[in-house]
Amino acid sequence: MLRKAQRRIIVPFLLPAFVLLALFFLYPLARTVDLSLNEFSRTGSMTFVGTDQYERLVGDPDFMNALKNTFLLTIIGALMLFPPAVTIAWALSHRLRGERFFRFFVFAPVVLSVAVVSIMWKFLYHPTLGLINPALKEVGLGALAKTWLGDPATALAAVTFVSVWHGIGIWVVLLCAGFERLPSDVLEAARIDGAGEVRILFSIMLPMLADLLRMLLVLWVVQSFQAFAFIYIMTGGGPFGSTDTVGTLMYRVAFDQADFGYAAAMGAVLVVLMLVIAKILNKVMKRDELQY
Amino acid sequence: MTNSSTDVLQPAADPRPLAAEPPPIRRPRRRRTKERPAPFRTYHLFFYLLLGSIVVSTASAFAWVFNVSMKTNREFLGTSPWELAEGWRWENYANAWNGANIGAYFGNSLFVSITATVLGVVVSVVAAYPLARVQFRFNGVVLAVFLMGLMIPWMVTFAPLYNLMQGFGLLDSRIGLILVYATYNLPFNVFVLTGFMRTLPYELEEAAAIDGASPTRTFVSVILPLMGPGVASVAIISFLQNWNEFFYALLLIHTPEKMTLPLGLFQLGQAANYGTNWVTLFAGMMMTVAPVLIAFALLQKQITKGLTVGALKG
Repeated sequence: MLRKAQRRIIVPFLLPAFVLLALFFLYPLARTVDLSLNEFSRTGSMTFVGTDQYERLVGDPDFMNALKNTFLLTIIGALMLFPPAVTIAWALSHRLRGERFFRFFVFAPVVLSVAVVSIMWKFLYHPTLGLINPALKEVGLGALAKTWLGDPATALAAVTFVSVWHGIGIWVVLLCAGFERLPSDVLEAARIDGAGEVRILFSIMLPMLADLLRMLLVLWVVQSFQAFAFIYIMTGGGPFGSTDTVGTLMYRVAFDQADFGYAAAMGAVLVVLMLVIAKILNKVMKRDELQY
Repeated sequence: MTNSSTDVLQPAADPRPLAAEPPPIRRPRRRRTKERPAPFRTYHLFFYLLLGSIVVSTASAFAWVFNVSMKTNREFLGTSPWELAEGWRWENYANAWNGANIGAYFGNSLFVSITATVLGVVVSVVAAYPLARVQFRFNGVVLAVFLMGLMIPWMVTFAPLYNLMQGFGLLDSRIGLILVYATYNLPFNVFVLTGFMRTLPYELEEAAAIDGASPTRTFVSVILPLMGPGVASVAIISFLQNWNEFFYALLLIHTPEKMTLPLGLFQLGQAANYGTNWVTLFAGMMMTVAPVLIAFALLQKQITKGLTVGALKG
């Protein structure tokens, strides 16, 4: 009776959400694959070209450069993100005085819009009007002062740093939740056995959080693969394409060159690459489920 | 929460745990003593130093923005970045609000974010109910389709989406943006809400049915009232995302009158590059940042909890 009555609500309850999802996500997703197999002329007519677009991608130095930068951004970002995030979360798990206050400042940038953060940092990086170079000079490190966003050697790292600064709070909060869940008896036992705090972190806490760390790493890959807003606002892909990622290149190809098919092919490649990398990470970092 | 960065909020990049039943809830054992700070140890000094330097650098960045917003353009160019503003130039704020349209952007952002959040939450609560608590053949498949959105980078579909919106006549319209935002919130919402609904006892429906309530009635008067905390955290996270979203606004909105704050500020920033009106931009930034930071200060617990609820089940 109950089951039968309940069945009647399935379709009407699911329908509104499903319509939205189908229209604005599933259809465009399917269309992306379709578009990538076609070529757009300037007039907007479409011809089926099969995998030509994909072959074109392989020989396209712009795409290869963008792909290289996307990978670089992912790797540099992971190096900039994880060690500090783990350290901060570790620090916050010690029930310090003023914990709420510290948490507020660590997480505050997350709630700000990417647009605001990017504009703010664009000015902070400004060689003369900004805050960073004058600060370096003040403490006697004037030699390190650079035109951060204007120099191809530093631009990508500078942009990556901003995106890490903006998002690190989320990683810290998730890691904190992980730390909080660790069984305190195990940690207590280690302390009684005379293990130092650093030793406890590396030999007990982090191994027990391996699953969480893997998830966070995949999350970072998903996020940095579609990096767009920070770059678009701060450098627009320049100088000399040194910060051009697949995201920004796709957008330019679609709207400056009106080549939707080619942009769609880039998108499809990006999705496939991302799924493959997520799969690899899952496999490589997979451990036996720890029982505790 | 923002686009590429807003996507930070897409939690379960790993699809495996989604299919599995959520594990039994493990109560964090530290909770009890949480309120009391631990006794001081020497190594805590390192932590205080580390966290203190983060606080100082973040706070000085904000303070710098505020300071510049109180300067004149001549002062901004002529004095060192450290120098305090000569006076309180609140007129910069008035200029930004009226002259630079920040007021209009603010209104648009409020309208778009609130409507999209309400639509997204309502639609996903309703959809989450049968997915979480009614057994039917394609239950798992439908749920997987919803959750696929957590895994696939949404931005790759922007070209067809643009064409679609053009076809619907929803390009450059706030309604179009609202529909996209609501959809974009769905996977996370459905993920959190189904997880939340599964924790409710199944006897609820049976008891309601015996009392003669229809399934719809049961949902509205029995299940919904119990969903308060779940709905609240989903709504807060969705709102933050929508408030900060940049990419789709850039893609879909072109007229200045319809722009949301992030996009409007971006336009203002572009204009400041070529013009000389920096202080207005900084005042605009302050006005965008301040309400969000205040709201965050008040809702800190809910926001961070909402995030963890989604990403780490239980």
